[in-house]
Amino acid sequence: MYNLVMKDLKLGVNPLYFIMPLILGALMLIPGWIYFIVILYFCWITVPNMFAGFNTQNDLMFTTMMPVTKKDIVKARVFVIVLLELLHIVMAMIFGFINTRLYPNLTHYFFGPYMGFWGLCFVMLALFNIIFIPMYYKTAYKYGKAMLVSVAAAMLFAGLAQWIGIQSSFVSDIFNGNGADHAALQISILIGGIVIFTAFTIMAYRVAVKRFLKVEI
Amino acid sequence: MLALDVRHLNKTYPNFQLKDVSFQLEQGYIMGFIGANGAGKTTTIKSILNMIHIDSGEVHILGKNVAEHETALKQDIGYAFGGIDFYTRSKIKTLTEVIKKFYANWDDETYYNYLRRFKLEENKKIVELSTGMRVKYSLAIALSHGAKLLILDEPTSGLDPVARDELLDIFQGLVADGEISILFSTHITSDLEKCADFITYIDNGQIINSAEKEEFVGSYRLLNGSESDLPLVKEKLISYKVNSFGFTGLIHTEDFDPSSDIKSAIPSLEDIMVYFAKKEAAYV
Repeated sequence: MYNLVMKDLKLGVNPLYFIMPLILGALMLIPGWIYFIVILYFCWITVPNMFAGFNTQNDLMFTTMMPVTKKDIVKARVFVIVLLELLHIVMAMIFGFINTRLYPNLTHYFFGPYMGFWGLCFVMLALFNIIFIPMYYKTAYKYGKAMLVSVAAAMLFAGLAQWIGIQSSFVSDIFNGNGADHAALQISILIGGIVIFTAFTIMAYRVAVKRFLKVEI
Repeated sequence: MLALDVRHLNKTYPNFQLKDVSFQLEQGYIMGFIGANGAGKTTTIKSILNMIHIDSGEVHILGKNVAEHETALKQDIGYAFGGIDFYTRSKIKTLTEVIKKFYANWDDETYYNYLRRFKLEENKKIVELSTGMRVKYSLAIALSHGAKLLILDEPTSGLDPVARDELLDIFQGLVADGEISILFSTHITSDLEKCADFITYIDNGQIINSAEKEEFVGSYRLLNGSESDLPLVKEKLISYKVNSFGFTGLIHTEDFDPSSDIKSAIPSLEDIMVYFAKKEAAYV
C-alpha cells in the first residue's frame, strides 16, 4: 500500500496538483466571495485531469502487474484522493485565517471563512467521495459520468447550504453572526463535518473494493 | 517441477469462448504459445495472471494455486505485454526506482548488469526506446526481481529480424541453467522453430495440441498430390487447398497411409496454423 502511494506521488500524479492547493488557497483572500468555490476547484480541475492522466499513462495495467492486491490498489488511490482533499482544505483554512486578519470588519453576505464553514466543506467533499469513488471503480477507467454526478451533488449541496445561509437568519447567525465567535459551536460543526467525511469516505472505499474485484483488466 | 500448470480453463464472453484450456510447462523450458490473432492467447495469459475472472478451472504456478497466492506468486513472475506501454514519458531510472520497491528480492547488481548487457540508457524515456529495447527493459526488470517464470505476450512482434534473433538467443541463455521457464505467445512461428522446446497451439479458444516441438510437428503431415488423389484422402484431411497442380492438405499422421502414392512432408508450424485456420473458415 505504501509503495502504491509512493508510485502515485512519484509517477501518477503530476506535481502541479500538489501545488494547486497553494495557488487555489490564495483565492481565499478575495473578500466576501463564495468560498465553497475554492474547494470546488479541486473537483473541477484536479480530479478530471488527474484521472485522465492515469488513463493516458496506462496506470491500471502497470498497477495490476505489480505484486499487490486489488484491495490495496483501491486503498492507495483513495488515500491519495483524501490527501489532496486535505491539502486543499488545510491550505484554504490557512488563507482563510489570513483573510479574517486582513478584513476584520467585513460583513459576509456568503459564509465567512470560519470553522463552521470548513465543517460544511468536509460534508461537501464527503458527498463527492461517496459518489465518485464507487462509481469510478465500476470500471476503474471511466471517470466522466462519475465526475459529472459527484460534482453536481457537491455543487448542489454547496448551493443549497449557501442559499439557506442567506435565507435563514438562524443559520446565518450560526455561521456568520454571533455564532462565529462561539468557539465551541464552531469547532463542533467542524468535527461533525470531519466525522461525516471520514465515515462517507470509508464507506466509499468499501463499495469501491467490492466493485473493483469484479473488474476485468 | 511444473512451472506452469493450467487446468480446464473456461471463460465465456458474448462473442468468444475459452474452452477447457489445459497445458503444462516444465521448469527450465521454453514454451511457445501460438495461435492466430483473436484465438485466445492474451485471454489465456490474463487468466493465468488472475487479471480476468475465469468461469472454471485452475492455474498453478510453481506448485501454488494462483487464485490463492496471487500476490506472493507475482514476486516470482515476470511479464511483458509486448514491451512496456505505461508511463512512457518517464525516464527508465524513475520507473525502476518505483518498481523495485515492490519486489522483496530485487537485486540492483543484476539490474545494472542487464542494463549494460542490453545497452539500455538509464536516462532515456520509455517513449524513446525502440520496441525491442522496451522488451529488453521488461526482461531486465523481470530478471532483477528474480522471476522464475517469464510470461511474455508477443515479445517479438514488431521487431526486426536481427533484434528478434538476438532476443531469442537471450531466451535460450536464460533457461540454460534450468531454473527459469518461459511461456511466450506469438504468431511469428519461425521464432519458435528456433528456440521453443514445447508448443501449445490454441485456435478459436480451444487447445488443438500441446506437445514437445518435434512431436507436435511430427503429428501432422503435409500432403501434396494430384487432383485425382484428393477423393482418397479428402475425408481425413484437416483442410486442403486446390490449385492447378493438384492439392495440398494437412492430415493427422495417424490418418495417413504412408504406402499411398501421395507425397508427404513434415509441415512447418506455419502450415499447421494456416490449415487449421482454413478448417475453421470452412465451417462458417
